[in-house]
Amino acid sequence: MSLIDDLRAVLGEDDVLDEPIELHLFSKDASLMRGQPACVAFPENTAEVSEIVKLAEAYGVPVVARGAGTGLAAGASPTAGGIVVVTTGLDSVDIDVDNRVAWVGAGVINLDLSKATRPYGLQFAPDPSSQSACTIGGNVANNSGGPHCLSEGSTTSHVLGMEVVLAGGETAVLGGMAPDPPGLDLKGAIVGSEGTLGVVTRVLVRLIPVEPDVRTLLMDFPSMEDAARTVSDVIAAGLVPASLELMDQRMVEVVENWLQAGLPTDAAAVLLAEVVGETEGVESQAEIISEIAWRNNTMDVQVAQSEEHRALLWRARKSAFGAIAQLATDYYLHDAVVPRHRLVETMKAVYDIADRHGLTMANVFHAGDGNLHPLIAFDASDPEVNKRVHQAGDEILTVALKVGGALSGEHGIGIEKRDMMRANFTEIDLDAQARLKECFDPAGIFNPTKVLPEGSRCFDFGGVKRELPDGVWV
Amino acid sequence: MTYHPPHISRLEVEIADAPEGAVCIAPKTVRDIEAILRYCSERELVVQVRGGGTHSGYGSPTQPDFVLSMERMNRIETWEPDDLTIVVDAGARVADVEAALEERHQSLVMPERPGEATLGGVIAAGVSSLRRGRYYATRERVLEATMVTGDGRVVRSGGRVVKNVTGYDLHRLAVGAFGSLGVIVSVCLRLWPHPSGAATVRVDDLERASTIVWPLAVLEADGVVNVFLQGTEAEVDSQVARLGGSAAPGLVWPEDPSRDWGWSLRVPPALTSDAVRELPEGWSYLAIHGVGEVRAASSDVEGARELRAWAESIGGHLVVTRGDGTFDPWGSPPPRLDLQRRLIAEFDPKRVLNPGRLPGGL
Repeated sequence: MSLIDDLRAVLGEDDVLDEPIELHLFSKDASLMRGQPACVAFPENTAEVSEIVKLAEAYGVPVVARGAGTGLAAGASPTAGGIVVVTTGLDSVDIDVDNRVAWVGAGVINLDLSKATRPYGLQFAPDPSSQSACTIGGNVANNSGGPHCLSEGSTTSHVLGMEVVLAGGETAVLGGMAPDPPGLDLKGAIVGSEGTLGVVTRVLVRLIPVEPDVRTLLMDFPSMEDAARTVSDVIAAGLVPASLELMDQRMVEVVENWLQAGLPTDAAAVLLAEVVGETEGVESQAEIISEIAWRNNTMDVQVAQSEEHRALLWRARKSAFGAIAQLATDYYLHDAVVPRHRLVETMKAVYDIADRHGLTMANVFHAGDGNLHPLIAFDASDPEVNKRVHQAGDEILTVALKVGGALSGEHGIGIEKRDMMRANFTEIDLDAQARLKECFDPAGIFNPTKVLPEGSRCFDFGGVKRELPDGVWV
Repeated sequence: MTYHPPHISRLEVEIADAPEGAVCIAPKTVRDIEAILRYCSERELVVQVRGGGTHSGYGSPTQPDFVLSMERMNRIETWEPDDLTIVVDAGARVADVEAALEERHQSLVMPERPGEATLGGVIAAGVSSLRRGRYYATRERVLEATMVTGDGRVVRSGGRVVKNVTGYDLHRLAVGAFGSLGVIVSVCLRLWPHPSGAATVRVDDLERASTIVWPLAVLEADGVVNVFLQGTEAEVDSQVARLGGSAAPGLVWPEDPSRDWGWSLRVPPALTSDAVRELPEGWSYLAIHGVGEVRAASSDVEGARELRAWAESIGGHLVVTRGDGTFDPWGSPPPRLDLQRRLIAEFDPKRVLNPGRLPGGL
């Protein structure tokens, strides 16, 4: 018997793929790094995931959980080979309206969850730009944010419990509906761990009320400084809008050329702000924000006049990454996060880096929480350009760390930023993180080689050792 | 009587209500804490970490050789009002930090009536604000933590930014861990700005509170229900009008119920009213509706036994927050104690920090 035969005996013939073309399809996520899986498995329930993990341990091969593969840091690229476990078959949704929670399969698409809960006046707060494709399991793995997390926090604040397959294929239910379960918060350690501690199969998520009214404001500014000062002043006024999103001129031009959403292409920066609440609340908040914008040299304040208008403005924001295809075949998106008060200087440094490397860059980002998303458009088939893009990426991260920021706001470390971890943490910090990983995964089968650089522990905790396939960008 | 070396004994202080036989020391620096914990690990001496002493009756009692008081480490390192973040030594009192933040109308969103409680104590005990139904629990406010592990390593995790997925969240494990992984020495916390309007409205009927989509808090104390509102003035005025009832300006927070025995009853949020009904005769209480937390006080240990059985039957817990150690403080142990034990062993191999205080004797 082989691994694949054994897996087929558990999952069924059709739920394990191993044809070369199939393996190629699942050899990478939305990052630029490719691996070589042994096979691709499609479990339909937690028991099947448990069997997969047991077999992986028996054969000594890695398990790489994958939702929709929208990750940008190679978290779901099987760079150490092994079994890619696609969670899309874990698609149950059980809504508990009275308790404002839902048990959700890891493979459920983020937007589908919010569509399912909306009739009850409830929503799942995290709303990453990829929400029409990305899965809840992926959100948990990367502690995803999205515009809404400015006021409501990232995924971790919305996960109350989980069912997870841990080492040995053992299934555990951690957390629950009752607040403050006693003991160590194991689920809190698993959120954001990028599939390296176990495979999360079902998630107990918090649902928050859909606010009855909303105001969406679009403000254009002659400079990035004016826009950034507006953001700071809004917060100083005691307001935390549901979102505060900034786009630079290059990004607005690209989006506008494609979507014609009515964004001002002559402004250096465009700020999209949304406030939610009861009607009196949003009216008065919109008024305050508008006053602040005028004081900070805005050229125009537009308020969305209808739900269609609002949807169009949001579509412009959330499709920015897609629109960039007009500039080049590939894009490389960064995710550094900096303290909000260092935003303007960081932006300047980021533009300088792109100029110095002769790269085309556009910016769209969550200004409210300091999460930058500089996006470099380039042709990945040119190895020389590839090298420059990578170099620029490292420099951007170095700048972010220098102003007191962190490597990743919501995309994860994966492999992409793994070797920068030494610049973010001391050896002792990394050793402590490696000890955590080892406690959960003594055999080292859960998504090995990710998050922590090699040698973080006194010995290599990577467990399953494999040569990286050719062409993997590490 | 044991004589400890001068680098330890020079830190000695008097603490009136310290456990008998324990030497009380108050370190001034992270280095001091490293030295103390190395010393204690080498000799397998037990250390009880202490903030303001507010939560010293919470969890299983320990017999410490040392009480490590964080009273001297109370500095606000950096407050960035524009970023809504603050970096503070863990020994700072919640009340002092809140008073400083008030200047810019910002808040930690931690317990409203903290008494002597310190930030480190609130985080280690995992207790939360009454506003947690709107602004989430203490757990969600900790962005970064620096800890000294039981064997004297200084470990930092997280970052000073409001959104972060860089590495494993050790700081989240530290919330509610009662110092079992390490002594929390400093933290970066997410703040919340408060707008100018606020009111406390007493309503006759809990049902009325549901006319507000997402109030700051709905609290029931010994039969009296108050709705707490905050927002722009226009918003609060309209909400007050809609609620009816008698409104007081500002937020008038109730005290936690207080007796020799304190209890925390935790149930699924929809069962908060059921939990109040299940309380034995004569218990005083403060219930946070929409959250499922009921803080109660009573010396009726027999009644507590039945209440715990009910709570656990619906997936909840009844935990002792203050007592004399004669009643099991935690109830049924949580899942995967083995994994929790292994984790603690990696951070505190000699088990010197608050040993046995967590559920399952961890």
